[in-house]
Amino acid sequence: MRATYHLPLTTLMASVTLTNITKHYTPPVGAPAGLPPSGLENVSLTIADGETVSVVGPSGCGKSTLLKVIAGLEFADQGKILYNNYDVTQLAPQARGVGMVFQDYALYPSKEGEDNLGYYFEVRKKTPEEKERRLRETADMMGIGFELLMDRKVDTLSGGEKQRVGIARCIVREPNVFLMDEPISNLDAKLRESTRTEIKKLLKKFGITTLYVTHDQQEAIFMGDRIAVMRLGRLEQIGTFDELYYSPANLFVATLIGTPPLNVIPAEVRDSALWLGQTALPLPADIMDKLPAGAVRLGVRPEAWMVSHQPGDGIPMPVSRVERLYTERAAFAGGQISGTAVNVLVPLDFPESAKQIHLQPDWTQVYFFAATGETALHTPGAPDLF
Amino acid sequence: MSLFPAVGRKQPRLRLAWWAVGLILWTGIILHLIPFFIMISTSLKPAAEAMSMPPTLWPKEPTFVAWKLIWNISDIGKSVLAQPLSRYFLNSLIMTFGTIFLSIPVTSLAAYASSKLIKGRIARPLFIFFIGTLMLPGIVTLIPSFLLTRNFPFPVPVAPNIPGTDIPFPTWRIWNTYWGIILPAGFSAGNFLLFKGFFDGIPDSIINAARVDGGSEFNIFRRIILPMSIPVYSVTTYFTFGGVWDSYLWPMVIVQDSAIAPLTLAIRRISDAFSYAGTTSTMTVVGASSALKPLIDQGLSWNGLMVLGLLQAIPVFIFFILAREYLLKGVRIQGLK
Repeated sequence: MRATYHLPLTTLMASVTLTNITKHYTPPVGAPAGLPPSGLENVSLTIADGETVSVVGPSGCGKSTLLKVIAGLEFADQGKILYNNYDVTQLAPQARGVGMVFQDYALYPSKEGEDNLGYYFEVRKKTPEEKERRLRETADMMGIGFELLMDRKVDTLSGGEKQRVGIARCIVREPNVFLMDEPISNLDAKLRESTRTEIKKLLKKFGITTLYVTHDQQEAIFMGDRIAVMRLGRLEQIGTFDELYYSPANLFVATLIGTPPLNVIPAEVRDSALWLGQTALPLPADIMDKLPAGAVRLGVRPEAWMVSHQPGDGIPMPVSRVERLYTERAAFAGGQISGTAVNVLVPLDFPESAKQIHLQPDWTQVYFFAATGETALHTPGAPDLF
Repeated sequence: MSLFPAVGRKQPRLRLAWWAVGLILWTGIILHLIPFFIMISTSLKPAAEAMSMPPTLWPKEPTFVAWKLIWNISDIGKSVLAQPLSRYFLNSLIMTFGTIFLSIPVTSLAAYASSKLIKGRIARPLFIFFIGTLMLPGIVTLIPSFLLTRNFPFPVPVAPNIPGTDIPFPTWRIWNTYWGIILPAGFSAGNFLLFKGFFDGIPDSIINAARVDGGSEFNIFRRIILPMSIPVYSVTTYFTFGGVWDSYLWPMVIVQDSAIAPLTLAIRRISDAFSYAGTTSTMTVVGASSALKPLIDQGLSWNGLMVLGLLQAIPVFIFFILAREYLLKGVRIQGLK
């Protein structure tokens, strides 16, 4: 039996510690063999009190499972979950005092907005005065126009309004931990941006410990104090944006973070130089020391190329397309080096007539990976800006 | 109306098809209504007019004499019906509502558990076990079921002895009681399928949200799921009502005592009695049994049987009106789009 007693938390906020959480699902009947394993593999993670950690990864990587395990909606096969040093591993979701926001909003369709918020008070046997007080406080925090949503039927609300009610439903209880499962990915682009700013503001205001799951790295970077990257149930790396961007743990993290992604080009270290196809580039000594002789892979961000139109200034790349992002005031030139697609950031006025450019990586911003596998041999590290 | 798009109806051929379909549908409706019209009109005729040839479309002088006679039939001919007709009516209601109050909660909770609570390897075999009962036609299980009611829970004519003794196992004879009707209908595989299909459509996230809010599993069912599920409850209740109210074969097997017999058995009895007495034929009444003589003298013939038919049909009709919104629209989750 799952325990149903309540957490003796004195403060409203809690740090969350996961230790070696493993969770396996039995594959459904008739599932094709050889599916990648679902669930979680040995995930350890600490979220400090008041911190927001966003979890990002491709679909099926176990990020939603992680959230459910923390909420108690799924139970881990192995491992421990602590809230503030308090073991909740076997505690039922009803007893954990978390607030959760769902991708499909998960409002109670038969109830009006206010009763959606009120269900918590109903099942916790709270007094009507307390409910009234918390509803008022929540409405104040949610901002202008929120009270208008309170007496509307759920099916008359738009997506954005539903999500506001969904978030309010979490806030109203003063949760120990705030869990968000892709809360804004069902909204349209414009609303997504304004809602994420609003959520960020709310999180700042409360300082609630938050786990924010998303598949969108922009959103993850925006929301999270730290970002956790997951793949196939494993936690690949957790850190600030700078750590993930400049010191990725492996090739997967390096290519996941950044748009357009890191260009990864096969190369060869020979005679104190880096050979890309027929072109040799002299390598700085400090990088040279870290690299084995022979085949490696070079990683260069699109913005870290030095572009020249003069022949002989680096690796020649025939330009096959130019993608101009007028709103970003930038353009990307696409082409191939050694049979690998490469993206290069160029000025918006990059001439249409340019058929070939010559590239040289900025050696302070390059990554090196082993020729096979995903091991990072060299990463630039966060730059000292001042 | 969506059969043909409005824009297309300007095309002559489509327009013709539209009219043709309308004609077929109207014919069907009228064909279905004719029996009811005849029942109503005949039930309002006096006995002689009910059997006149050619029949009249509507009684010349509508009268409720047949209704009164049928309702008081036990006062006049005790040997036809041992109990007042209202008693049979009440018995039918007890059996029907008893079944509804047992079967709907049992079936819906089983379906909810099967749909939302039971996960893992056991879920599918359990589901198939429940559904498997649909594969046997009712007639196949008639005799085993009958034996079950004799020595519940043993499906054998004589309950076995407790091993090592001469004392038979204690059994519960539900045969010839209301329970004999209600208990076997306590779980309905057809309704289970309807419920399960409906609950499968409810997103897990709603239940998870309620769990995080702190609702116990039963409270979630009662306060969140139940209000969303009014359509499926109306439909299954309607089916259960119709099924039990109109059942004849099973009550005939189970019920021996006229004090607990349902209306269907009473109707059969009266109609048999009339047939023997010859009042349903156009021939002169010959050799009418002495028991029926007063009834026949007072003017009961086909008109009385029509009254019985209507009495049997009216409650189902009322239930249909109550549940029609969901029966016609189909079962959809309330408030989800």
